[in-house]
Amino acid sequence: MSSGANALGAGPTSAHAEIGLIDALRQGDEDAFGRLVDQYHTSLRRVARLYVSNRAVADEVVQDTWVGVIQGIWAFEGRSSLRTWIFRILINHAKTRAVREGRTVPFAGVGADDVGGPEAAVSPERFHPAVHPTEPGHWTSPPRDIGTSPEGRLLSREAGEQLQKAIDALPPNQRLVLTLRDIEGCSTEEVCNALGIRETNGRVLLHRARARVRAALELYMGRE
Amino acid sequence: MPCQELVELVTAYLDGALSPADRERFEAHWGTCPGCRTYLAQMQLVVGSLGQLGRREVGENGAERDRLLGLFRTRGLHARGPRERSVPLGIASEFAAPGDHISYFWESEPEFDAAAGFLAAGVERDEVCVLLGHGDANSRVLAGLERRGLPPDGLRRRDRLHTVSGQQPVDAVLREVGDRIRSAVDRGVAMVRVLGNLGWEHPGWPAEGDILRLEARVTDAVSNLPSVVMCAYDVRGLSGRSLLLGGLECHPLTLRRGALRRNEHHVPAEQFLETLALDAA
Repeated sequence: MSSGANALGAGPTSAHAEIGLIDALRQGDEDAFGRLVDQYHTSLRRVARLYVSNRAVADEVVQDTWVGVIQGIWAFEGRSSLRTWIFRILINHAKTRAVREGRTVPFAGVGADDVGGPEAAVSPERFHPAVHPTEPGHWTSPPRDIGTSPEGRLLSREAGEQLQKAIDALPPNQRLVLTLRDIEGCSTEEVCNALGIRETNGRVLLHRARARVRAALELYMGRE
Repeated sequence: MPCQELVELVTAYLDGALSPADRERFEAHWGTCPGCRTYLAQMQLVVGSLGQLGRREVGENGAERDRLLGLFRTRGLHARGPRERSVPLGIASEFAAPGDHISYFWESEPEFDAAAGFLAAGVERDEVCVLLGHGDANSRVLAGLERRGLPPDGLRRRDRLHTVSGQQPVDAVLREVGDRIRSAVDRGVAMVRVLGNLGWEHPGWPAEGDILRLEARVTDAVSNLPSVVMCAYDVRGLSGRSLLLGGLECHPLTLRRGALRRNEHHVPAEQFLETLALDAA
């Protein structure tokens, strides 16, 4: 068994261990495959749900993904990490199903990773104007204190719900990038690889998503 | 650095993606500004909390896990014995298994056109198609796709259709077909269909003996790749020797009159190549 319940958060498997794992899968090692399922199944379901609303359809997408892994492992060359590849298979299947369901698909179409118009991480009203004589661009209304320890208030059930609400309210592209990067613990490079987007754009989207979540939590926790 | 600039650079800073100069400006300002220190700490708190959310939500997948292990056992391409025929061929109502190498004997124009249906069925399932054929056959296949409402240009643009040239040494052909399959799989594609209309005695193509060597080696080369390779054999146009040695002896499966059958005349590559070498000598 993997040590952490979700080894995704524990960083990518080392290249050496990964070659061993790929080889074991190719030889039909069931324990190795079982470990892979333990590691990624929950994550795959979570990401699939960002593309298709229906839980049963999402589960089908995840199963198709596993069949893709099972049958593709001999052709997998390790140009990306195993984790990136698995997410890429998932995203491929999920997109197909989402299109079939007539849903808007994140990062689909021409210029798919266009980040859209400007979006400030913090409202400009909270800073002095850039032409201010002594403190241009400096805080007029600095962030309110919400505590800084994740072990603290944020882990209460109510705060957890607020966090989830803030995630659910994100625009789809931002939500997808944030989920892969921060909830699943992929690197920015892995995320952009899996989604087929440019790293600079992926980072812009990630930043906007985090800024929105932070703003929502500040509003919620600083309200008393 | 103004605070308003710093708040936009936090993610790049945490990713280590700032230029050394920006990083220095970032840290210098951060060191003197309580507001920005709070902001950075809060962004780190957000990142930390999201990570905890991920770890907290890992559930037990007991029954699901057993089912997936079952799939691994039966659908894995490591498994010996007959594989589940899970890939609709798009011809008659037959299904192939991943890794299959099939010869398709055709006589009439509708029979030839059905081979385009093999590719169309793949497009329908978001698979990738590879065309390995002489010019005349390829253009007829592409016209067949067009008639089915699948303009080849659109498929090419979406990386769903590739053409591999047969006018090169057989090693290069084999490698290029394998590369096409592997790169599609790398992109997350589940299955690749290869349609061969080999250019026996066509200008620029390898000699008959070399095409036979190619056919003999394809079977093993694709047996554990998520692919179905179908080679069309023109019963009226090809020589008896090409049909017998290439079509019959090099393919573990044949498709004829809408029925996919295991082919008892298939000769394992090693033995086939040995005999071929003896014949030549």
